[in-house]
Amino acid sequence: MKRDKLWKRIFEIIPGFLTWATLIGLLVLAFVKPIWVAVFVITFDLYWVIRTLYLTTLLLFAYRRLKIERRYDWIKRCKALAASGGLTYGDIYHAVIFPSYKEGPEILTPSIAALERADYPKDRMIVVLSVEARAGDAAWRDAVRLREEHAKNFLHFIVTRHPDGLPGEVKVKGANATWGAKVLKDYIDSMGIGYERVVVSCFDADTCADPEYFGCLAYHYLANPRRTRSSYQPIPVYNNNIWHARSVARILELGSSFMQMIETMRVEKFVTFSSHSMSFRTLVDVGYWPVDMISDDSVIYWKCFLHYNGDYHVIPMYVMVSMDVATERDIWPTIVKQYKQKRRWAWGVENFPYLMMGFMNNNRIPLGKKIRRALNILESHYTWAVWAVIVTFIAPLPLIFGGGLFRQTAIGYNLPSVSATLFRMSLLTILVCMMMTMRLLPPRPKDVKPQKVLVMITQWLLSPLVVATVGSTPAIDAQTRLMLGKYMHFQVTEKSRKK
Amino acid sequence: MRPSDKIRRAIAFYFCAALFCVLLPIVLSYALGYQIDYHNLRIYKTGILYVESRPAGASIYLNGRKHGDITPAQIEELKPGTYRIVVSREGFYPWERDLAVRPNMVTKADRIVLFPVAQEMKKMGERGVVDFAVSGNGYVYYMKRSGLYRSTMDGGSMKRLSAYSDWPDRIIGKSFAPSQDKFLYFTDSKVWVVNLNYNRKAKDGAEEAEVEEVFAGQDPITGVFWYPGAGYIIVVTEKDIEAAELRSSGTRNVVSLYRFNSTPRGLYYDESSGALCFTDIGTGKDFSESRYLYRIDLKQKFFDQLFDMLLKKEPDSGYEKR
Repeated sequence: MKRDKLWKRIFEIIPGFLTWATLIGLLVLAFVKPIWVAVFVITFDLYWVIRTLYLTTLLLFAYRRLKIERRYDWIKRCKALAASGGLTYGDIYHAVIFPSYKEGPEILTPSIAALERADYPKDRMIVVLSVEARAGDAAWRDAVRLREEHAKNFLHFIVTRHPDGLPGEVKVKGANATWGAKVLKDYIDSMGIGYERVVVSCFDADTCADPEYFGCLAYHYLANPRRTRSSYQPIPVYNNNIWHARSVARILELGSSFMQMIETMRVEKFVTFSSHSMSFRTLVDVGYWPVDMISDDSVIYWKCFLHYNGDYHVIPMYVMVSMDVATERDIWPTIVKQYKQKRRWAWGVENFPYLMMGFMNNNRIPLGKKIRRALNILESHYTWAVWAVIVTFIAPLPLIFGGGLFRQTAIGYNLPSVSATLFRMSLLTILVCMMMTMRLLPPRPKDVKPQKVLVMITQWLLSPLVVATVGSTPAIDAQTRLMLGKYMHFQVTEKSRKK
Repeated sequence: MRPSDKIRRAIAFYFCAALFCVLLPIVLSYALGYQIDYHNLRIYKTGILYVESRPAGASIYLNGRKHGDITPAQIEELKPGTYRIVVSREGFYPWERDLAVRPNMVTKADRIVLFPVAQEMKKMGERGVVDFAVSGNGYVYYMKRSGLYRSTMDGGSMKRLSAYSDWPDRIIGKSFAPSQDKFLYFTDSKVWVVNLNYNRKAKDGAEEAEVEEVFAGQDPITGVFWYPGAGYIIVVTEKDIEAAELRSSGTRNVVSLYRFNSTPRGLYYDESSGALCFTDIGTGKDFSESRYLYRIDLKQKFFDQLFDMLLKKEPDSGYEKR
């Protein structure tokens, strides 16, 4: 037990240590070996330009796939599928869990209305609204009212109250979702529905699914012979209030959507993120979402991965679920809100010690697979934490600290021009982002002026500034906290939609 | 993931990986100053020469051979060694120097000034100029036999300020007051002040400047300075330092501040601090005579002035031995 604790601490320290060792090492070397740092900076800049080129290409591939699959009639395709594993289209039930804290009806009603617009038969759809008991009676009354208004449209509408302070739980969304799933299990058991026949989706309170979502999900579930060994991941976009959000928030959220689209093209690294779906059988077998970790959306994937000895995958679905942009009325509170949200996402670095501990206790996963997955997760968080700092702050250091002798060397002389050229090349990505923004934006609301379209395009010119300020800092913050054992608490991103 | 997407992704990945592998040595070798000799398949070190001249656009010759670029230019991939650099432009004197180009280093020749072969000269104003003074605010004052004139620095807006024409032939020095509203000039025995604000609102033909003799002495003058506040001037002769009052309706106050033991050398006056430095013969601790550097603080310290004002005490100019 003591040994496990020690190993866990070591794994918690590793990501932050690597990040700080890199940054401090480069800072020190900029004084003592500026030529080494200059060579590293040019190599990194080139790597970053080509990586950006590669990822932009994947983004275009993903968009192409999204465009193709948007035209599909998923229900028709479901019906055309032959029975697989004893399941046909008519056997599949969808359960949607909304873990909610203080989100009011103005947030939840559109999300439930989106379910009502789904092209899937509502008599095979179950809604679970799990409200935190600590949110108070007002939140509970709102939830009950929502059930009264919408229950008639679904097979069943469960409203439940997640008690505060259950043993082993901390105040995280996963604990609430797990409570809702357990209540759902009672209902499914009472109805005598097989767990394999239920596909459960865990949605944030502000998640509005596309009408095709459940048809698409049913198709992928039915078409997959190993359906219980997979999670199903839609593309999260932040369209609910994007026309009213601040440009900094729009850039960051659109960037996140683009990254998720890119991830759909890298299935071997793909991990569930935010709103996702899975077989209820799987959820029950692995013991539901984690009740003591913040990043429940990705930890559930690793939980399944370990439970099934590495035989678990994420199936990308080219269908969108729309959420709220974390924004405020003014720019500075928006930056703070975005920073906190990204830091919570970056806290996903807690997956690394979780996974490593799981690997240590599991001898049935091939070593190669363990190394690959561990490096994937480590590399993604490490890169997130260092890249913006290297590109914006470390790059000029050799010139500042290198002294006159360094500036007389060819590399000292060429460093600014080479870096600037590579930076300009990476800006080509901005053109693709501008184009993609226009393709993915929802229709302009009537209260928004037409010239806002121009702002939506040109906002990307701010991206170097946004990258410099909130590109890497949330990740450094999260990794440092984990390294020092100052664990984060779940902070709900307050939804602020224009009424 | 569709097989077709898998293939596309693999192509994109290997293309980008290959691009990185190809570009990295090229970019790094360029940045580090290396050059690839494709004929002999070897890498050799080069240096960079940066040439910048004023005016720009000059031709560059390396060991007698004209280089394609004109200044400012960065000439790369030069083999290490000494090069005879000539920078030339038509109508200017050429610049030439032997410069060593070192491996992986930058040699800079960036402070080259090319002087025109025929300097352009312009006549400012009419003839008969005895002397002139240039103020700090961009005016030229002409002391002419026909009067005192003023123009801008390019000779434009010429205007006669006064009919005064009795300028001495041997003016030793001139100095503008810090306020630029008057200037003094002196010969070896006399000092005059030209008051430029004499009659600012003068109509056409009226005098706008006034010339006044403010000091006349027996001993040869070596320097004249404006006392801080410009109500006095400090006149340094070969015998003493005197303070002469400028504005006086009756007798002009002239005070001898210090009498030299011998003719001073190396006179220096710092306008900002009001310190006057000079050398004089003095007696040391061992009672032997020697030449010392002295300093007189002509400008009062702020608190001294305040103190003087409160007690209505006369200003005191102390001096100290350095």
